[in-house]
Parts: sequence; C-alpha cells; structure tokens
Amino acid sequence: MRREIHELDGEMAALGYIADESIATAVFLARELGRPLLVEGDAGVGKTEIARVWSELAGTELIRLQCYEGLDVSTALYEWNYPRQLLRVRMAEASGQTAEAMEEAIFSRAYLLERPLLRALTRVDGPAVLLIDEIDRADEAFEAFLLEVLSDFQVTIPELGTIRAIHVPHVVVTSNATREIGDALRRRCLYLYIDHPDVAKEVAILRSRVPGASEALAGEIARFVGGLRARDLVRRPGVAETIDWARALCRLHSDHLDPDTVAATLGCVIKDQHDRRSLPPAEIAGLVAAARAGAGAGAGG
Amino acid sequence: MTRPADSAGPGNDLLVHLARLASALRVAGVRVSLSDEIDAARALVRIDLGDVDEVRRALRCTLRIRPADAAHFEQAFARTWLDADDQPRSDRPPPPRQGPGVKVPARLAPLAAATDGGDPRNEPPEEPPEEPDDEPDGDRPGASAQALHRRKPFELCDERDLAAMEPILDRLARRLATRRTRRWVPVDARARGRADLRRSLRRSLATGGELVTLARRVRPVEAARLVLLCDTSGSMEAHARFLLAFARSLRRVARRTEVFAFNTELVRITAWLGVTRPAVMAARLREAVPDWSGGTRIGECLAAFVARHLTALVDSRTVVVVLSDGLDRGDTALVGESMRRIRARARRVLWLNPLAGDPRFEPTAAGMSAALPHLDLLAPAHDLASLERLLPHLRT
Repeated sequence: MRREIHELDGEMAALGYIADESIATAVFLARELGRPLLVEGDAGVGKTEIARVWSELAGTELIRLQCYEGLDVSTALYEWNYPRQLLRVRMAEASGQTAEAMEEAIFSRAYLLERPLLRALTRVDGPAVLLIDEIDRADEAFEAFLLEVLSDFQVTIPELGTIRAIHVPHVVVTSNATREIGDALRRRCLYLYIDHPDVAKEVAILRSRVPGASEALAGEIARFVGGLRARDLVRRPGVAETIDWARALCRLHSDHLDPDTVAATLGCVIKDQHDRRSLPPAEIAGLVAAARAGAGAGAGG
Repeated sequence: MTRPADSAGPGNDLLVHLARLASALRVAGVRVSLSDEIDAARALVRIDLGDVDEVRRALRCTLRIRPADAAHFEQAFARTWLDADDQPRSDRPPPPRQGPGVKVPARLAPLAAATDGGDPRNEPPEEPPEEPDDEPDGDRPGASAQALHRRKPFELCDERDLAAMEPILDRLARRLATRRTRRWVPVDARARGRADLRRSLRRSLATGGELVTLARRVRPVEAARLVLLCDTSGSMEAHARFLLAFARSLRRVARRTEVFAFNTELVRITAWLGVTRPAVMAARLREAVPDWSGGTRIGECLAAFVARHLTALVDSRTVVVVLSDGLDRGDTALVGESMRRIRARARRVLWLNPLAGDPRFEPTAAGMSAALPHLDLLAPAHDLASLERLLPHLRT
C-alpha cells in the first residue's frame, strides 16, 4: 500500500474515524485529483463523518450545506441583506445620492449574505472542506445548479459579476439514495460506497468512540447488531446507532449483553415500530445467545 | 504480482490494461465514460501499483463502480488486469442482470423509460401556476355524448368509447400527476403569491427606494412521478383495456411514469406504452406479458416490485397507483407487507378497484383488506363517473 494512504488511514483513526483501506484510498485520491467525492451508503454508516475528519486533518473549516426539498440559490449560495439595503436607501434619499451611486452601494459585497457555497468559494485562508449533505433530498433543478458550481468553482451574481474560487474547496457530497442522483453529477465526482462495517471494524469503531466499553462488550454489541442487520428490517441500524447503544449500555454498567437489558434499550438501534414488533423476547434471547457464543468461540480460537 | 513498476507517468502497458478493463466493463453493461478512464489513469500514477488491492480500490473509486456493478467489476478486473499474473480469482459470478419477471434489462430500463417518452409533443403542457386552484373539480357534466360515457361500465367500452373518454382521463391524470414544488419562482405582480423581497427591492430603485408594487413569487406546479401497477389477471380482464388507456393518459402528463403489469409475474411495460393505437398496444402486451389474464398473485408481484424497483423508482415525490380488484390467490400477508413498504416511501398510495363501484362492496377480499391499512385512498374505478369523483381527493 502506498505510504500516504496508509498514513492517512492512521491519521483518520487518530481522530476517531476508523476508516478502511477503500475509504482512505478514496479520500486520498479525491484530494490528489482535486475532485469532489460522492459518498453513498445507508444512513448512519459514517458518510458525513468523513467530511468532519477531513477538515480536522487539513486543519481547515468544515462548511456544511444540508440539502432539503425546496433548497434554492438564496439559501445555498447568497442572499442580499434586504433590511440593510432598505435602510441604506432611506438614508441615501436624505443625502440626495444619485440612483446609480446608490445602486452601486447597496449591491456591493457589504450587503451580501454569504451562504455555504459562496463561503466555501471565498474562504481566504486555504481551501475549506465543503460538505453537501444528502444531495438526494434536493430538487433536480438544484442538482443541475450544483453541477455547474462543482465544474467551474465559480458563480455568477448578476449584480456583482463572476466570483471565482480563491481556493478550490475539498468537496464531499453524500447521498442516502432516496432517489437516483443524476448521471452528470455522478460523473463529476469520485465515488465511494460505504457498506455497514464487519464485526472487526465495528469493534474497532466502538473501542475508539466509546472508551468505556470493554473489548468483550464491544464484540457482543457488534455481533448482535450484525445479526440484526442480517434480518429483513425496514431500517437497518447504522454505526451511529451502535455507538449510541454502546454508550447507553456503558451508562447502565453492563459488562455483557443480557436479554432483559437488550429489550429495554433496543430503542437505541431499532427505530421502527414494525421492526421492533418483529423482535419478540424469544428472538432477542436467540440473538443475544448467538452474540455471546461468538465471543466464546473467538476467545477459544 | 508482476504489474508494471511505479513510474512518473502511466506507462503504455498500464493504459492498455485500463482500456481493456473499461471496454470489458462496457460489454458487461457497466457505463464507464472516457473521463472516468482519465481519472483512473491519473489515480494509478499516485498509488502503489504493486498492491493489487489498492489498485482495485482506486479503480472502483475512479471508475464510479456502484455496489450493484461490483460483481461485474471484479470479473472484468480479474480477466483484464490479473490474467497475466496467473492467479485466477474465485470471485462469485455476477448475479443475472435481470430478475425472472422483468423483460427489460435492469440496466437499460431507466434509459428506455427516459427516451421512449422523449417525443416532445408528449410533454405535459406548461400550466399557468394558478390553474389548479381555479380549475373546476370535474363534477360538472360535459357534452351529452360525454355524459353517456360517464356511466358506461368499462367492461362494456369499446375503442371508440375509450377515445371519447380521453379528455376526462387526461384531466384526471393531470390532477393525479401534478403537485406544487417547494421551490419559489417569480410571477407577474398581479398574480397572487408571496412577496418577493429581492425583486421588489430591485424594482424600487426606479422609484427612489419607494416600494410602489410588490413583486410576487409562487411555488410552481410540477409534474410528479407516477408508478402504476396494473392487475391484468382474469378477474380484471374486462377492465384491462381501460386501465391501459388510463396509463397512456398518465404518461402524457406526468414527467415520469412507470407502468407495470402483473398477474402471476411482474412485468415492466413502460416502454410499450408509446405505441399510438391502443389495439396494437394491447396485442403487444398480450404477447409479452406471460399468462395475460391468468390467475393473480398480487402479494408476490408487489413484493417483487418492492425488491427490485422500490428504491429506484419511488421517492417522496412519487404517487403509486394500484389498479386491481384485490382478489388474490397467493399470500395476502405479502400484500400488506409490500404495501406498507411502498407507502413508507411514496408520496401517496391509491388503490383503484373496479369492484368498489358496487354499493354492496366491502373491501373483504383477503388481498384488499390486507392492503387497506396502507392506502391513502381506495376508490372505485368501474366507470368514468367514479373516476371523476376521485378528482377532489387529488388536490395537490
């Protein structure tokens, strides 16, 4: 493995993000090639965390744009500060300024409210990490606009002219695949799919994020959640949920999983009524037994 | 592992390998563009070429290999990249590209859906934004000839009747398939709508900062996406012609309509609805749909839809319409479970049932009662008048 990728992996782990080789490789390549990184995967597998860790690694600012339906340019890019503009117009009236001079004044940078995209482009102290979260929630029209920004890293504001990126930001785009995102945007980005972690990786994550959890408990939790994910659930629990659950169990001073505690705290990982009903006490006991047996087999072998 | 050694630029040998890999992927139906290959080449000079796993990871990242294509990639990678290494990889063969009931290859399907409706004349007409608010709900009687058609049960309709019904079907389709978006667009100042501060202010400069008129903005009406699931089994045969006419109307107005027929199997028929003459279309369908008007297994077919198409085709903007009598010969628990999943994703789920027109109708058919808790609306669909009564329910 290339030294830089290996180092990146280690650096991310030091910041609490247990990456695997494919994540480290993707981040390395996105940084080297200067391309946005499109990250797909189920909710809670750590897509957003990549951007956080990246910004900490680079010692730069994380600028986040949360997408939602109806997101438009005035929320994502810029907006004029209307109250200030109106105030200025009133004041100018009294002083008898010409219309042209006034227009120049109120449509200047001082009256511009920078939204995340513009802020990422105009950041002076080195490139920012721009996280465009859940792009699949935005409208297709916005996706098309975003494509333009990510291609040229410049935007045009009619009143001001074209603003070019001072430093091209590192861009992470995430998607939960609630809808297919357009091919053009997909082509613009490098691609990373994050699957649910295997038991070993999940144990490593738990050990790193929940220091209070013993090796044995972390293993049992990881195997139990792995067993849950193998079932036909409406919402499969992600790593974020596993971490919450491990924290809850630590708070309850559990050293091992037992069916009663699991049943009482399962709301940390199972967040759908239908899924919860599909897990009667007998099923939970079975999963707990399997998780603990796995620990025994691991210790014996 | 005797790959070309790390060097400053990608060697010829490396580029040849890359080109062979890309073409193998294309043959397997994985779309790889030239720009992807260029990215891949740029990536290859930056990684450790001696590490096959790293090469694989870098290629997957730069060639944008999605999980669904992973098996194809592994195969192509093993064949074109590792062949010289004399170490055959025991990767599992890729799953078949298409499920048993689907006639359109999965990879081509989105393309087919995008292009077969590409006739610009089929585009939904640009509607003035305020129209849906002012449009009558369709309860008013039209011409007398139309009135006749209104109460004629669909099973008695011939092709001429269907043609006469087209305007009403179109209107119904438009109501069903449009909705207000959440974006704002500017409109004429006389129109109703929210104040648009940005444009108002801009305009006020002409009058010395005095806001004489307020600019307005509204949320435009957008064509929604539709998924239509038509039961074509024996008990529905009499209605199938009408259903198809309805499906065609929907396709005319909706931005994206996907149509499936089901009886014992689920078949994606979107691509065949472009045919202009209903008779030709019906004949084609009969040929293509296995066991047209045979028995029904609604549960299995809905479950197949959920498994293969739900994520790709249904989102919070999609209206799902099931046209069926709910007379199921299969597992009805599956009907309920599948409908629950569909509802969890869709904007709205409607079930049109031709039997529901009978005043004595109770949704007691096992399949129907299993689906009922997961529907936004169960409505009769035995004649045009019944469909018209649907309109007020479909406000967006």
